[in-house]
Amino acid sequence: MSALVVYSPQYRLYNFGPRHPFSPVRLEMLVDLLQHLGHPLHFVEPTQATREEVRSVHLESFVRRVEAAGRGEYFPDFVHYGIGTADTPIFPGMDEAARWLVGGTLTAARMVVGGPAKEVLQLGGGLHHAQKDLASGFCVYNDLSVAIRYLTDQGLRVAYIDIDVHHGDGVQWIHYDEPNVLTFSIHESGRYLYPGTGHTHEIGKALGTGRKLNIPLEPFTEDESYLEVLQMGLEPALRWFRPDVLLVQCGADAHFQDPLAEILLTTQAYAKIFPLLRQYAAAFAGGRAVYTLGGGYSLDATSRIWALLYLTLQDLPLPDHLPEAWLRRWGTQLGHFLTHTLFDPEGAYPEIPRKAEIERRNRQVTERMLESVRPYWN
Amino acid sequence: MLVKDVMNSPVLTVEASVTLEEAYHIMLQRNIRHIPVMREGRLVGMITDRDIRLATSPFAPGGAKSTAIPVEEVMTQPVFTAEPLDPVEEAARVMRERKIGALPILEGERLVGIVTGIDLLEALLRLTGVEKPSGRLEVCLEDRPGELARLSSELAQQNINIHSLLTYPYGEGTVNTVVRVGTLDTRKVARSLRQKGFKVQWPPEIPSKSL
Repeated sequence: MSALVVYSPQYRLYNFGPRHPFSPVRLEMLVDLLQHLGHPLHFVEPTQATREEVRSVHLESFVRRVEAAGRGEYFPDFVHYGIGTADTPIFPGMDEAARWLVGGTLTAARMVVGGPAKEVLQLGGGLHHAQKDLASGFCVYNDLSVAIRYLTDQGLRVAYIDIDVHHGDGVQWIHYDEPNVLTFSIHESGRYLYPGTGHTHEIGKALGTGRKLNIPLEPFTEDESYLEVLQMGLEPALRWFRPDVLLVQCGADAHFQDPLAEILLTTQAYAKIFPLLRQYAAAFAGGRAVYTLGGGYSLDATSRIWALLYLTLQDLPLPDHLPEAWLRRWGTQLGHFLTHTLFDPEGAYPEIPRKAEIERRNRQVTERMLESVRPYWN
Repeated sequence: MLVKDVMNSPVLTVEASVTLEEAYHIMLQRNIRHIPVMREGRLVGMITDRDIRLATSPFAPGGAKSTAIPVEEVMTQPVFTAEPLDPVEEAARVMRERKIGALPILEGERLVGIVTGIDLLEALLRLTGVEKPSGRLEVCLEDRPGELARLSSELAQQNINIHSLLTYPYGEGTVNTVVRVGTLDTRKVARSLRQKGFKVQWPPEIPSKSL
């Protein structure tokens, strides 16, 4: 059975303004591409998350400030809550807009528990940096954690997998001491990239110890090394943890075109990652999985990667060329060249002289991560 | 950062008359290596696990001492101490120069804490670590007045908060500055800094990147 897809045009209300990288144009381009690919689109309309649902993760003081900011009111301590900063500027209705994204991920989680689908793709959300009392890194409310809270409240064990190029810090910290939540984040090392955390020694605390896993990658990591350590680190963890459901944050910013980070994946890598995660869901989580979007700031790359995600989960064939009409429309609108094929051309970026060293270090860091969590796996 | 911010308090102490065996057991139980030695409420020495092991070793010059002797016979005295309001780097300097592993902290005559090498590592981690989600900028500045001010005012103009800032000498006449900033989009910041003539070391410029 192919995945159901949750989407609402309301998601596009989450908009920090025309110069901000977390742009709703990403969704517009993606949905338009899916339409142009010619397959009938069936979207499940999400329910907007309620204030209480948001409060299952976020502090009252924080929610009150997000609401006030969205109404145009001002609190002198906004900046302590990450509100009105360069990354999460204030916009009208920001509470409502953020609650749409939370609602979408929560709707997807409910569908997986309630039975209409085993696999659900939420075409939005993935706001993994938001903390219980802090908006951060373009994220206001943490839709992933709200969904995880819902799933664990149902008595389920959740494996959260984060392939965004940035560390999934918000989700990790919110569930840091929870035994029923495994978090696994593979990202460019915090030594170089925002948010600066996600080191191998962050393994959880109290009953959550050994259940928070991080693979910090060297900058300029390429496809083979990424896939190697992803499997090396994730498979044993899932085999041991035996989750009831996977929640996957599919940030698309580890692509080489991404302007905000230094990992060099091609879309060919994503065409392997998504089926791999599906296999893991089938093998270790009864096939149950929710996929969300996330970061991704190259419009060219995000459209293609998330189309790939959609097509993979729908068991649809992957086209070579992208529809001409779509390329023309968005090429004109954006005023620059778009890659004409789903897959990246050969030699799309310069050769990396440190390749062997990078592969060795990624392998070593993954071994170190496994060594530090394994003693707690019993 | 001051000694009082990193010291351990309250401090476990022993009386001068306690035996080596008793002191050693306390160290094992509490998983510590240094104990201040007191007589009538005043600090008179320091006893370490190494002092005890060396004194009772069969290789000790003059033969192994009995484990039943009081600690005052092998403790180190006089003791180097520091005060709660001393800067941590001063405590670190004393410990490195004297090659000692711990400093008792005195307020006047009163023992109020102890700082060990591990506490100084903790201080280093706090000084260089990531307390808040932040991006990393590394900028090489000319070593002359006003350069850091020029950098920070650029960041202020872009509404970018600085979470921490470290500088260290780097090459001839330049200092490297590592700034942890409250933004995910450090590349945008780097671009504008480069346009203003700053030598940005991280994030790097990547020629092939296109949107």
